Amino acid sequence: MALLEVQNIQKSFGRTEVLKNISFSLEKGEVLAIIGSSGSGKTTLLRCINFLETPDRGVITVGGDVLFDGANPAKKREKEIRKNRLHFGMVFQQFNLFPQYTVFENLVLAPKLLAKEKIAEEGAFYGANTYKGAVENINAEAEQLLKKVGLTEKRDEYPCNLSGGQQQRVAIARALALNPDVLCFDEPTSALDPELTGEVLNVIKGLKSSDSTMIVVTHEISFARDVADKVIFMADGVIEEEGTPQQVIENPHSARTQAFLSRFNQYSD
Amino acid sequence: MDQFWSITFQLLEGFKENCILFGVTLLAALPLGLLVSFGSMSKFAPVKAVCRTVVWIIRGTPLMLQLFVVYYIPPLLTDGSFKFSDRLTAATIAFIVNYAAYFSEIYRGGIEGIPKGQYEAGYVLGMKKSQIFIKVVLLQVIKRIVAPMSNEIITLVKDTSLARVIAVGEILKNAEQFTKQGLIWPIFYTGAFFLLFCGVLTLLFRFIEKKLDYYKG
Ligand SMILES: Nc1ncnc2c1ncn2[C@@H]1O[C@H](COP(=O)(O)OP(=O)(O)O)[C@@H](O)[C@H]1O
Ligand SMILES: [Mg+2]
Repeated sequence: MALLEVQNIQKSFGRTEVLKNISFSLEKGEVLAIIGSSGSGKTTLLRCINFLETPDRGVITVGGDVLFDGANPAKKREKEIRKNRLHFGMVFQQFNLFPQYTVFENLVLAPKLLAKEKIAEEGAFYGANTYKGAVENINAEAEQLLKKVGLTEKRDEYPCNLSGGQQQRVAIARALALNPDVLCFDEPTSALDPELTGEVLNVIKGLKSSDSTMIVVTHEISFARDVADKVIFMADGVIEEEGTPQQVIENPHSARTQAFLSRFNQYSD
Repeated sequence: MDQFWSITFQLLEGFKENCILFGVTLLAALPLGLLVSFGSMSKFAPVKAVCRTVVWIIRGTPLMLQLFVVYYIPPLLTDGSFKFSDRLTAATIAFIVNYAAYFSEIYRGGIEGIPKGQYEAGYVLGMKKSQIFIKVVLLQVIKRIVAPMSNEIITLVKDTSLARVIAVGEILKNAEQFTKQGLIWPIFYTGAFFLLFCGVLTLLFRFIEKKLDYYKG
């Protein structure tokens, strides 16, 4: 059974239908790349999955649990929405680090806030059954994550003293600190100077493993081809084409996919 | 020389009223202003409309006029059965309302200036709304409003002398009494008291700004 199932998601803003019946599924350990021109609904789709927007219709299932069902639109309490959100991580185009906290504090803030609540309610969090134990594990994990994204030296810097690429790597580590089932990236390199995109893409590539499931919205076509297991091409709120990178990027069937990709190839060689 | 000290002492008596007016206004208007700013940002349209209209009226009319309204209107409406026994109380009410309106606009600017990405980053990390406000947004708002707040608070120090118009025994009213004895200099001398007070506040605000200077953004 698929880890993530997205079925018939529909979302309108006022009269404009931005997502029209989007369905896809993702196995554990898979990387999905979503490509498509700007305005095609990629960000809105990620925001729906992260419960930053509420879809008008559709079903979202993670590991067999129905997190959202548009047919049963009982207004969810904050607590439940927060619990749903924790299945997902989100890395934003604009990083959105907390400027008043150091790199390390950015990583541990949310897990520490969660620790008290989870230990009170579920008796355990982060591999510990006391708040103190959880905090120790959170701190240790944060050090590991900094190492993973290559920023151990920047541990005590404030975000304003980091380059865009470094800030985005912090944002990735911050999302990983909550160990989400699915990590989503919304054009993680679009706000970066060209010479900084490589370091971020390499970090994302390095995360690929049998138990990390990722959705990456990107304009980096060669990255999608090399790293993704699955590619979706979106156009005007629908999935125009879907398949392996070989199918969608190398041999696109749809005329719109071909037109979109040819615009990239014009400049790349 | 004796006369100088005795006048200084009498002016200080008056300045005490200015200080009380300043302190009480600040203590009450800072939280009240925050409440009003939440009101003017409310998603509930009637609350928002009422708050914004009140703020517009208060900021669009002179504080001096508001002092007259608070002091003279209640007796007119109640045929004289209600009258402020203490003029300072009337002045304080007018000042609190006036400054809460100004403060609310400063808070609103500070809060609305926080990028929505800060809230969303908190949401996707499973934080509660209240946690996001306290742990993420609040310090950023404080950093943004220190400068406009310090301007407004320093203006408040000087505005306290307006209480003179409803005959509160503040420092300028005290100083005017000496003109009867042919002494004009005490009026100018009052400036020193205000300067000293504002100077101390300026240093304090500069200190706070420095403290918050450790990060940008
Ligand atoms: N909050 C919103 N309110 C109204 N329209 C929106 C909102 N968010 C996105 N849209 C519209 O939805 C469409 C898809 O936007 P988006 O999901 O950001 O596309 P993409 O990420 O593929 O560029 C755009 O036409 C955009 O203007
Ligand atoms: Mg987008």
